[in-house]
Amino acid sequence: MTETEGKDCPIETIESLTKEAEALKKKLEDERQKLNDITLATVADRLDIINYMNIKPRRTLKGHQAKVLCSDWSPDKRHIVSSSQDGKMIIWDAFTTNKEHAVTMPTTWVMACAYAPSGNLVACGGLDNKVTVYPLSLDEDVTLKKKTVGTHTSYMSCCIFPNSDQQILTGSGDSTCALWDVESGQLLQSFHGHSADVMSIDLAPSETGNTFVSGSCDKMVLIWDMRSGQCVQSFEGHESDVNSVKFHPSGDAVATGSDDATCRLFDLRADKEVAVYSKESIIFGVNSVDFSVSGRLLFAGYNDYTVNVWDTLKCVRVCLLYGHENRVSCLQVSPDGTALSTGSWDYTLRVWA
Amino acid sequence: MEPDHRDHRCHRPSAFDKMEGLVREMQDTEHGGVPVRSQKLFLTSIPAAFMGYDLIEWLMERLGIEESEALNLANQLCQYGYFFPVSDSKNLVVKDDSSLYRFQSPYYWPWQNRPPDNVEYAIYLAKRTLRNKQRHGLEDYELEALSNLRKNLANKWDFITMQAEEQVKLSKVLKKGDKIISDSQERAYWRVHRPPPGMVTSLEQCPVPTRSWNGSRTRKRTIEDCRRDVELLKNSLSRTRVKVSQALEGMVQHVETYAEYDPLITPTQPSNPWVSEDTTYWQLNSALVEIPTEKRVRRWALSMEELVSDPTGLQEFTNYLRKEYSHENIRFWMAVNDLRRSAQSQIQRKVNEIFEEFLAPGAPCEINIDGKTMEKVHQEMKAPSRFTFDAAQEHVYTLLLKKDCYPRFIRSEYYKNLLATGIQPSQKKRFFGFGQTKKKTSTSSAPNQQLLQQQPSQGATVTCGALSKRRGSDRSLSGSAHELAVSGVKDSKVPHSHSQSNLSDIPYRVKKPSIAIVAGASTSEEVCPWESGNEPRSRKNSAQLDSGSSSSDISVAVAEVSERVQRVCTLTQQHTVDGSRKLSTSTMDPPRRASVSVPITHSTTTGDSSKRKVSSFEDNSSAATSTSSSVFVIPSDTDNKAEECTSTSKTVVKNHGLAKACSVTGANAPIISVSSVADDLPVDSKVEEEAEATCSQQEPLAPLAEPDSESPASELPPSEPITEVEVDTEAKSNDVCPWEDDNPVQAKTCSITASAQRTLNPP
Repeated sequence: MTETEGKDCPIETIESLTKEAEALKKKLEDERQKLNDITLATVADRLDIINYMNIKPRRTLKGHQAKVLCSDWSPDKRHIVSSSQDGKMIIWDAFTTNKEHAVTMPTTWVMACAYAPSGNLVACGGLDNKVTVYPLSLDEDVTLKKKTVGTHTSYMSCCIFPNSDQQILTGSGDSTCALWDVESGQLLQSFHGHSADVMSIDLAPSETGNTFVSGSCDKMVLIWDMRSGQCVQSFEGHESDVNSVKFHPSGDAVATGSDDATCRLFDLRADKEVAVYSKESIIFGVNSVDFSVSGRLLFAGYNDYTVNVWDTLKCVRVCLLYGHENRVSCLQVSPDGTALSTGSWDYTLRVWA
Repeated sequence: MEPDHRDHRCHRPSAFDKMEGLVREMQDTEHGGVPVRSQKLFLTSIPAAFMGYDLIEWLMERLGIEESEALNLANQLCQYGYFFPVSDSKNLVVKDDSSLYRFQSPYYWPWQNRPPDNVEYAIYLAKRTLRNKQRHGLEDYELEALSNLRKNLANKWDFITMQAEEQVKLSKVLKKGDKIISDSQERAYWRVHRPPPGMVTSLEQCPVPTRSWNGSRTRKRTIEDCRRDVELLKNSLSRTRVKVSQALEGMVQHVETYAEYDPLITPTQPSNPWVSEDTTYWQLNSALVEIPTEKRVRRWALSMEELVSDPTGLQEFTNYLRKEYSHENIRFWMAVNDLRRSAQSQIQRKVNEIFEEFLAPGAPCEINIDGKTMEKVHQEMKAPSRFTFDAAQEHVYTLLLKKDCYPRFIRSEYYKNLLATGIQPSQKKRFFGFGQTKKKTSTSSAPNQQLLQQQPSQGATVTCGALSKRRGSDRSLSGSAHELAVSGVKDSKVPHSHSQSNLSDIPYRVKKPSIAIVAGASTSEEVCPWESGNEPRSRKNSAQLDSGSSSSDISVAVAEVSERVQRVCTLTQQHTVDGSRKLSTSTMDPPRRASVSVPITHSTTTGDSSKRKVSSFEDNSSAATSTSSSVFVIPSDTDNKAEECTSTSKTVVKNHGLAKACSVTGANAPIISVSSVADDLPVDSKVEEEAEATCSQQEPLAPLAEPDSESPASELPPSEPITEVEVDTEAKSNDVCPWEDDNPVQAKTCSITASAQRTLNPP
């Protein structure tokens, strides 16, 4: 900026920029509304209603001595890793309900854990601000080979392997996301843009996809280019913390779950919110959401101990799953879509099918 | 409650606002709230209470929900302390009956102010000790808490006692009814905030700085943040977006398309393992399988992404392209994917490797990209990263693979064959009924035996390539009717690519793989309903002849049957086929396929000894495991097969003057061994696929209960739609089914009966 320009237009201040942002937001909203010609439920009108779902609890995994905070399916479709408030991480054969490994972390509130695509590695972290990987082997103590890959400046809330055992993507209470090289612990890319704790991340379903989505306590949902580190799209709409984000299997939309007791669907191509999943009777926050493999069903775990199953397209609730005796903290459809796992503050995990 | 009094920096989950709104409505008795009155319980009157079922009913009506949901919601509100059971101070549970509840005073609602501290708790406990023991006596856990507090707050204890005494004095002024109510409310408050050990408390939050009641929610925004926001918004404005209707239509279509692949929407076949405890579904659908299910193959046609994201799909696609000499594109694509996911330390090396193999001038597998992209690559090569080849990969993916190779693959006979041979698990149940225990024992051992037995018979070294590894028996479907072990083609090099050329111009010639069919009962005794008492025949070795007239020959050798095979019906033949340069699959009419399918061993050996390619696979399947109804069927199938085989070989032999031996023993053919010797063309796997396709296909398709439906061999040939396939004038154009022949007469000549045994000598 040259000096003359500096006189003409006042130097950028937070106030001026905020004002500019407000104006742009309004303009953007107008643009979006111009193309808003129909509702999802109308488009989905031709589909049959899902009347009856025979989803029942099929397994209960008992063994944690504290609140289960996170879980992740193994690519083999039957193992689950789960982490809990007391610092334990357990690898389950969910099919037989046997525990295959139990690792004690040197921290409490292990809020994130994830299986690597190979199934030979798990990562976890939490209040220790770190992401640690453990290679899984049956013949020795897995803690011996643990490796700290990256460190945030606040708690780590979520982590995921981006189609590779060699990298790990994390989200943190320091309001950033980061991509780490597992082997060297090198920070490959950091992602700045949220103004509050990042609570959840998810990868775009495409194999080659370089995008991921993040949800944060700043109520924003951001889409990122993993390669450039730039935020490429943002969605507003939630009235409270966004606790969970998940890509629709088509890759063209993301579902979110929030403390405002709603789930929402944001379409990337239409660039706007296209559905809100809420009911007056649902007043507690959503902790976790996931789609069935076709994307027709949206499962959401709530603080009121229930799982609500939504018809993604018709925007109506299909059914309620009761069973947990405390908040449902995490939930995930198995990789082949045959089952749904839920983890709860009641110390158990359940598998539904 | 006055929300304004709250510190705005405080974090307060929005659920509290909603709960409070609802509870206020409940208490608004004038406008249809929950009826609250003095309730008579025996002789005593309980003031200001309401009944469980009134509450539940109110919730159901107010929110339009079912009883179960209303009950759940009521319990939540109770857990948070908005009302509490009058007669139970321990359990905060709401029942849908006449039990009594009382609303909490808004003063005691949760998350109104900061959470209570220990001094307040100590005052409360101390107060209770000063009052009537019978009514206000402390619980054990409260006594313990009190003694702990006394220790910890020793310096404040005088103050605490004073406060407690003061409060007791004040409460004495109250009317009895009011006193009962306020006492119960205070007690309920502490029940929520200081729950007995082991009890669930709803108020606990994740102990992260921003989520506790006094968490500061927003980080101070820097000018950098603001700039970034503006930047993002500006970019968003210029973003191209589609109409909502268009976007949503796409999504609805996607969901409709995939509904049948969603186990929670469309039940899986044969069954969902979590429900039935039967893991067959997983075995049939494991990452790499020899024979994918028909449904899975169909899915590959949905999009290229579907195909390449399935390891089996990717592999079949690669095999197909390899046969077309154009698999360098897919290999490049995979290599770049691998690069992108590699450890940082490997990047430099892998970038160079990829460049050397695919992009450098004269590279062994040079891919064809335009100059502009190439320039980009060269630019990127200066600073190698995991994204160096992204542009080139994109080019290869969209222009070559997606627009060219993929559609051709989906239209190809190769794909149609995969589709036709795909397993249809729904029908499998019948086979499973027959004996699951048996399968485990028999199938796991049979294939390898076959493999071993076969190898020496070929008179050629067998090289098991990469395919054999991953297709090894450990991957096979041990619980299912199919047990396949294939040692496949090891591909050395792609001679050159047709990917850019119009492949339809290339004349495909089919060389028919001939087959030696060895029917045996290595699969076990159970196979036996139709078994004959014959001993296994020993088989000839394959003769391998080169006609010299073409670049490839396939000699199909007879496989030999092991001594261990107890019950055998054997079809053996040996012949050499003169072939054209390429083999290609062509369609056949699946339902007409003879219904013998089954342990198959098949190997192909290249004639060129320096490059041997052997593939073999084995398959134990329907014939071996089919139910008794198939007793009638199998023999006739075998007949067909035998006929076909024989005739095929005859034809071929006639044309080329090769020796042929074909012996047919027994009727059932649980094992088919195929060995073929071919030139150094990467043809073998196709042969193998074909044979495999042929042999395994009938299982789901053949109507076992109706032997009549098997068409006689003489009818088969005309039904084959052979299209783009041309064969040497001499060679018979038998496509996938090597034992089918155009010449019905010949086929007839060697019909066999179930128990018959016949040996066809070389002419």
